[in-house]
Amino acid sequence: MGAYPNIVMIVDTTDGKVLERIPLVTGLPTGLRLSNDKKTIFVTTNDHSGVEVIDIATRKVINHFVLNSETHRYRLNGAAPDPDGKVLYATTTEIIKHADRFEIGKPKYTVIDLAQQKIVKTVDSSSAQGDTPDAGGGNGGGAFEVSPDGQYLYQFRNQVVVMKSSDFSIVERIDLGRPDDPSEDSLSLGGLQEALSEPGQRVTLFNFSDPIVHNKAFGLAHFDLNTRKFEFTAIGPAPVSMTNLRVTPDKKMGYTVVTEGTLGNKRCEVWGIDMGSSRLAKTSEIPCRSRFSFGMSPDGKKLYMYGAGFEIDVYDATTFQHEATWDLGNDMRGGMIGVP
Amino acid sequence: MKHLRAINKKARRVDNYVASLGEDVVGLQNNQNPTPQQRPHVPMGCALAFSPGWEVDSAGGTAGLCQPVERDIYDCYVTCFWPSQVPDHLNNYPDWASKCAAATKDWRNLDLVFP
Repeated sequence: MGAYPNIVMIVDTTDGKVLERIPLVTGLPTGLRLSNDKKTIFVTTNDHSGVEVIDIATRKVINHFVLNSETHRYRLNGAAPDPDGKVLYATTTEIIKHADRFEIGKPKYTVIDLAQQKIVKTVDSSSAQGDTPDAGGGNGGGAFEVSPDGQYLYQFRNQVVVMKSSDFSIVERIDLGRPDDPSEDSLSLGGLQEALSEPGQRVTLFNFSDPIVHNKAFGLAHFDLNTRKFEFTAIGPAPVSMTNLRVTPDKKMGYTVVTEGTLGNKRCEVWGIDMGSSRLAKTSEIPCRSRFSFGMSPDGKKLYMYGAGFEIDVYDATTFQHEATWDLGNDMRGGMIGVP
Repeated sequence: MKHLRAINKKARRVDNYVASLGEDVVGLQNNQNPTPQQRPHVPMGCALAFSPGWEVDSAGGTAGLCQPVERDIYDCYVTCFWPSQVPDHLNNYPDWASKCAAATKDWRNLDLVFP
């Protein structure tokens, strides 16, 4: 997991000990993303809009570069690698430093070549998508996923937008929206990978509202990234916010943390969802953190509440009981990736 | 402005006009978009609140903040969400937090900056 001021930590999930701190060259990590072959980790960094690639076997940074220059800066959002791990698809906002002012550009769809270590293509979102482009708004328009054949991009936001990876033109829009996630911020790398399961498939939670009464409900959606087909099962009324779904390796259970209320009235519950029947199987209230991320151990037996600090609260995935608090010594940043 | 009272015809006409802008109340009314409750004025954005050490949540209180508040300090420059003043990490002071791994424990290691 990423941590301040500029490291990626390797943590033993049995006892919470930090096995290694991998120093990053380009600054503070903002997002981590596992490659499709699970051999490398892509890291985006904050200070100079950097990208780094970590080899999991050797635990070394094998590629790093920054997008910023003296006069051009970029805000990088929602990046996802292509199936070969050669390019990243993202949305960027370019900031040009003039003699007397900064000029903030419009969000653009961007292709970053990892070998050439630079942006090789940008497409103006409004020219690609007309008057209602999908690259703007919070979180840069949402996280990307790439289909296994590399032909299509999926952007998850208040709709699921399917685009051609060649020119970012829209192929299809699906009226399912990602729930508000308290752990999401404006700088992110990665989409639904952690919610997944198998190559080419994604399983996660979505909100939808009916066209008559507009009641918001949430449910479980199974996406096939190859065929662009999805299967959605409604579960119940949509809560105020939910974290990403974490699915156990045996694909029987999924977990999310639901937040109701705001500020001092906030309540948090862990929800266990039976993936076979798409039904809520178990809930339990847990202490809320003001800001947090939600994770799961690679074996699916432990649940983690972390972020905004240096501690991970560990819960048993079966009983939802608090088991331990791990002190990692560094404030955490970005996502958590489980590597067996 | 409730302490102001119309005292001439023109001012009363203004009052009546403002009152006429309000919508009528109707039977079984279920306002889908009620007027949001007025919230305290909090300068938005890290760079606008020039009060070092002052941090409040979006409601003007502290109930929504992390405990202790040092847990929030880094997000003042990463996401620029909390309204408190921290050094400009992206442009001028990229190393101000480089000696501080855990802000709650090591906040004394944060660099002072003098713009």
